[in-house]
Parts: sequence; structure tokens; C-alpha cells
Amino acid sequence: METKTLRLTLINWRADFLPGQFVQLLLPGVGEAPFCITSSPSDPKHIELTILRRGLVTTASQYIRPGDAVGIRGPLGRPFPLDRFHGRDVLLVATGIGIAALRSLILYILENRKKFKEVTLLYGARFPEDLVYRDEIKSWAEHVKVMVTLSKATEQWSGLRGRVTDHLKEVSLHKDLVAVVCGSPAVMESITNELIKYGLSSENIYVSLERHMKCGIGKCARCLIPGGLLVCKDGPVFSASEISIKAIGE
Amino acid sequence: MVFCDVYATLVLSSKNRMVNVVMPLPIFYLFFNFGAATDILAVICLKSEDGVIMLKLPKQELMSLISELRRLGFEVIAPTRSNETVRLAALSSPSDLETDYIRIINSPRDFLLPSREPLFRYRSTATVTSYGLKIRFPTVEGPCPVTIVPEYTPPKVKIAFFGIHPCMANSIRYLDKVMLSEPADPYYKARREDMFVAVLECEEGDQYCLCKTVESYKVPEGYADLMIRRGGDGFLVRSRSKRGDELLASLKRGEVAGKPKDLVPRLKEEYAFDRTDEAGIDERDASEYVGACTLCASCTVTCPTCYCSDIEDKFSLMDPSNVERSRVRMSCQRRCYSMIAGGTTFLNTKEARFKWRLKHKFPFSERAYQLVGCVGCGNCIAFCPARIDFRKFLGRRVA
Repeated sequence: METKTLRLTLINWRADFLPGQFVQLLLPGVGEAPFCITSSPSDPKHIELTILRRGLVTTASQYIRPGDAVGIRGPLGRPFPLDRFHGRDVLLVATGIGIAALRSLILYILENRKKFKEVTLLYGARFPEDLVYRDEIKSWAEHVKVMVTLSKATEQWSGLRGRVTDHLKEVSLHKDLVAVVCGSPAVMESITNELIKYGLSSENIYVSLERHMKCGIGKCARCLIPGGLLVCKDGPVFSASEISIKAIGE
Repeated sequence: MVFCDVYATLVLSSKNRMVNVVMPLPIFYLFFNFGAATDILAVICLKSEDGVIMLKLPKQELMSLISELRRLGFEVIAPTRSNETVRLAALSSPSDLETDYIRIINSPRDFLLPSREPLFRYRSTATVTSYGLKIRFPTVEGPCPVTIVPEYTPPKVKIAFFGIHPCMANSIRYLDKVMLSEPADPYYKARREDMFVAVLECEEGDQYCLCKTVESYKVPEGYADLMIRRGGDGFLVRSRSKRGDELLASLKRGEVAGKPKDLVPRLKEEYAFDRTDEAGIDERDASEYVGACTLCASCTVTCPTCYCSDIEDKFSLMDPSNVERSRVRMSCQRRCYSMIAGGTTFLNTKEARFKWRLKHKFPFSERAYQLVGCVGCGNCIAFCPARIDFRKFLGRRVA
């Protein structure tokens, strides 16, 4: 996967954001696209965005060099309800580039480690080269439990193998646990279904949905999801009880 | 009787003599019903207690209302006929006004929320050596190189819609709910603020109309300044707002008092369906409806409430530093509507897109705005090349 993390310094402006929110990144002359903020909310003068090369804006963003100027619109959307996470066990499940949406939350947890009980990150990808934040994950592992699994691992890979759903049983899942899921739509749907099978209440499962939000303020209706909710205004973070589970993968 | 203490004076012409007749209003209404037989030149009346002004005007006088609106600085947009199609257009001459029509192919939406609307321009020192491949972005040395140039400001136009049907007035109400909900859209708001609406009440619909099902034959308060209806050989014009009062008063013609109920149009077919049933739409089999669908998106193009849009940044290759950002209308019938990075498309089939349109119009809108997004104009059926009738899919025929 061709990913790039941009660290943006905000000029004459501070972004007071919370984990889970997103911004519209404007590349002059190219266009705008939504990306979730991947940096820690404790530093409002900088914003980090992890971008996977996919379309026009993401391709152009690969050519950004240090010192270049870009535009930012945001922060937009509803963040993770951190109050509900405090004092509880937290399970973070991410697949592929989905880890980018959880990085801000992970950094927040690391900075406020005492506010949370046991924290587990279960991260799945296909190939070893698909893993994002490889070096950072090692430092995260000193403070939270990290499980990395590859579905198409090479012989040299010494870690876990298989899909994330294969390893859910290794996590102590109980009713008071809060789970946060982010990945491709179909994977998020299957993980949510698995977690419910393990006895988690849908109110305690949070997903971060992806849609191609154009305006970010609820006027273009491009991020409408089943149930009539707008991902830009009502989300992108939803609890699985707020939306139909089918809607996650639809 | 509401108006029995109100007296009307009729000025009748009889054998070249002017006759003034004073009578209680209910009796006057009896006369009114035979308006075609009696040559009413002008009707003079005391104002009723609720302050509604009503005039009976021949078509020429209706046109003088248009001239008066123009004098007040309004751009009058009214139905005009060209090549068997009636469409809303800026009137070049009041005589182009078409009052004898059932449906128009476009809607007030096309003037309040144009299909392509430049939002602003910005200048950057970006240079594009090979578009999409090698892009040099401006650098932050020196002053901020990306400047938003307010070369575009929302136009301060005063739009007057003249002679639109109640369903179209209701479509403005729905667009208001969407575009003026916080944060309000400044471009829409600028066009909407000074808007004047004269509604031509509908007597008869065609086989595609469904205003009775969605109750859009009634015009809610604030969405009509004037209500016009056919009466005898002329038109009955009554005011529904202060601006309407002022406009009618400016004509200095005689007036009648009254507050007739909204006209209920005669429809050829009537249907009943549940507007909030999202699961029901999902469960039903739409294959027999979408089989002939060509995904031409006529349904969303002619719909007076479809507002989904895309944002585009465009620059000229001659001057790549000058970028224009526009809002462009988007249709849920197109594949790119629901596509996200990586190519995942949520609405993959014709059936999914057909159902999505209906879900957005009915359960989603009902949930978000407590108002259905369908105003019952029937344009999506009438202008569909395959005549796909969503009414049959959603409900059943009751009349």
C-alpha cells in the first residue's frame, strides 16, 4: 500500500479537535477530500493525515514535499464519545488503512493511560508491507496490548496469522468492554456481527464510517446512509445501536 | 358564517349603464359563482376582519401584476411554453405567461439552487507540469501563497416566481428545510431571502400527479404571497402576505373580501402508501420496475426537490493558478454518487439506486425534517423514458 503521513503546521490558526473527527484537505488546483485526523488532540497547532493513494487528491498528495502549502477545512464530524470510554476496558479493532482513523484515539489513550483500564489493539492487514505505523506500533505495545495479524503473511512473519475475526476469541470479551472498529465496510460489518455474537451490546460497539463527503456540513447528501443519517454531521463515529448493522457494510 | 357582516359592492355593467349593487358577502358569492354569466367589471368590498385582500382580474390585469413586480426590482420567473413543453423561465414579456398548463419540466430549484453554481475563486501559485502526475504545490516561503479571492459573491437577485403550482411552492419549503438548517447555505439564502411567490392554484392534475397523497396541494404559510385561481373568465387573486397586500393595493382596483379554502385538484389516479417505512422499501422486489431503467437520471433532473451535489475545483490550463470552486448537481442514479476511495460503491445496482431515491424522498426526509421530500408533482414518472411508476411500487391505487 502506498501511504503517506502528512504533518501539517497550521498558520495563524489552531484546530481544537477530538479523536474521530475529520478535515477536508484542499490541494490547490486539484480538489478536496475528507481525511480523519490521525494526530493527538493535545497538539492543536499540528494536524497529521495518513493518506492511502487511491483517487485524484490522494494521488496528488503523494507529490507534496516539505514546505508546500495546502488548505484545511474542519475539524468536522462527531468525535468518539470519550466520556463513555473512561474507566473501562477498550478494544480497538482496525484493518488496513482503518488504523489511521484510530491513531488519534490511541495517542489520546497513551497520553491519558490512567483513565482507561485494559486496552487492546487488534490490527489486521494482508501483507507485511501493508502495515501502517510499523515502528510506532512497537512503542504503543509498551503501554497497551497490541495484536497484529496478517492474512497473507510471508514465511518470515513471526506474528499472528489469519483475519482479525479469528483472533477475537483471544481477547477477554465481556459486557462492560467498549469496542471501536474501523476498516473496509464489509470487514467492519463482519467484525461487528462477531462482537455481538460474543455477547457485546451494540451500544458498546463504535464504528467509524467512510463516505465521500463533499461539503462536510450536511448540504450535499453524499454521505447519507441507511436510516437517513449523514456521516458528516451525525458521524463519522456511530455506535452500532444507532445504525443498522447491515448499513455498515452497505 | 365568517363573512356575513361584510358587505360587498358590485359594479355591474348592464346595457351600457353602470350599476352599483351593495349586498352581504355570502349573497355576493352566489353572484360570483355565476361570474362568467355576469360581466363583472370590478368588485369593491370592505376588507374582511382577517385582512385578506382578494381581486378578480382579467388576464391582462394579471400581467400588470408582473409589470409591477418588475418595477419593484424582481426578476419574474414564470411558466412559458415553447415546443409543447412548459418550463419556468425569466419572462421577457408579461404576455409570455402561460397559465394553462399542468406540469413544468423544471422547477424553482433550478433558480434557487442552480445545477452549476460557482462558489468562489482562489488563487494559488500552484503549477501543474503534468496534470495529475507531477504537481508542484505552492510553498510557504513569504506570504501565504494560497489566497481565497472573493471574486464571487452571492448575487443579490430578487426572484419572483409567478404562476407556479402549489406542489412547486411546497418544493421550496423542502429546500428551505435542507439548505437553511444550521449551518445555513449562504448562496441559497441570498437568493431565497427576498423571494416573492404567486401560486396558481391547480384545478386538475394528469395521470402522474400525486399531490393528494403527499398533501402538497395546500400551500403552507410563508410560501405564497399571492394565490391565483381561475374564476369565471378571469382570475381571482388573493393575498397571503403583507407584500401581497401591498402589491394588490398598488393596482388600485376594487377588491373583494374572503378567504376561500385551498383548491383540491381533481386527479386521475390516487395512491396510498406509507411514507416512513424504510424496511418496506428494502423488502419489496423492484425488479419489474427497474428492468427498463436506463439510468438516464431524468427522475432526479426534473425532480423539484433533488439537491444532492458534488464539489468541483476547476482551473484553466492557460492559467492554472486561478481556480474556481463550483457546486454541481449530482444524481444518486450515477455510479460515482456512492463511490468511495478504492472503488467501493454502495449503490451498485439499478434496484439499489431506485430504492435509494425513494428512501431519501420518504423515510430519510421524514426522519430528518419531519417533511417528505416528494411534493407529488409526478415529474419523475412523466419524464421517465421508461415511465417507471414509483407509486405502484410504494403503495396501491385507491381511486
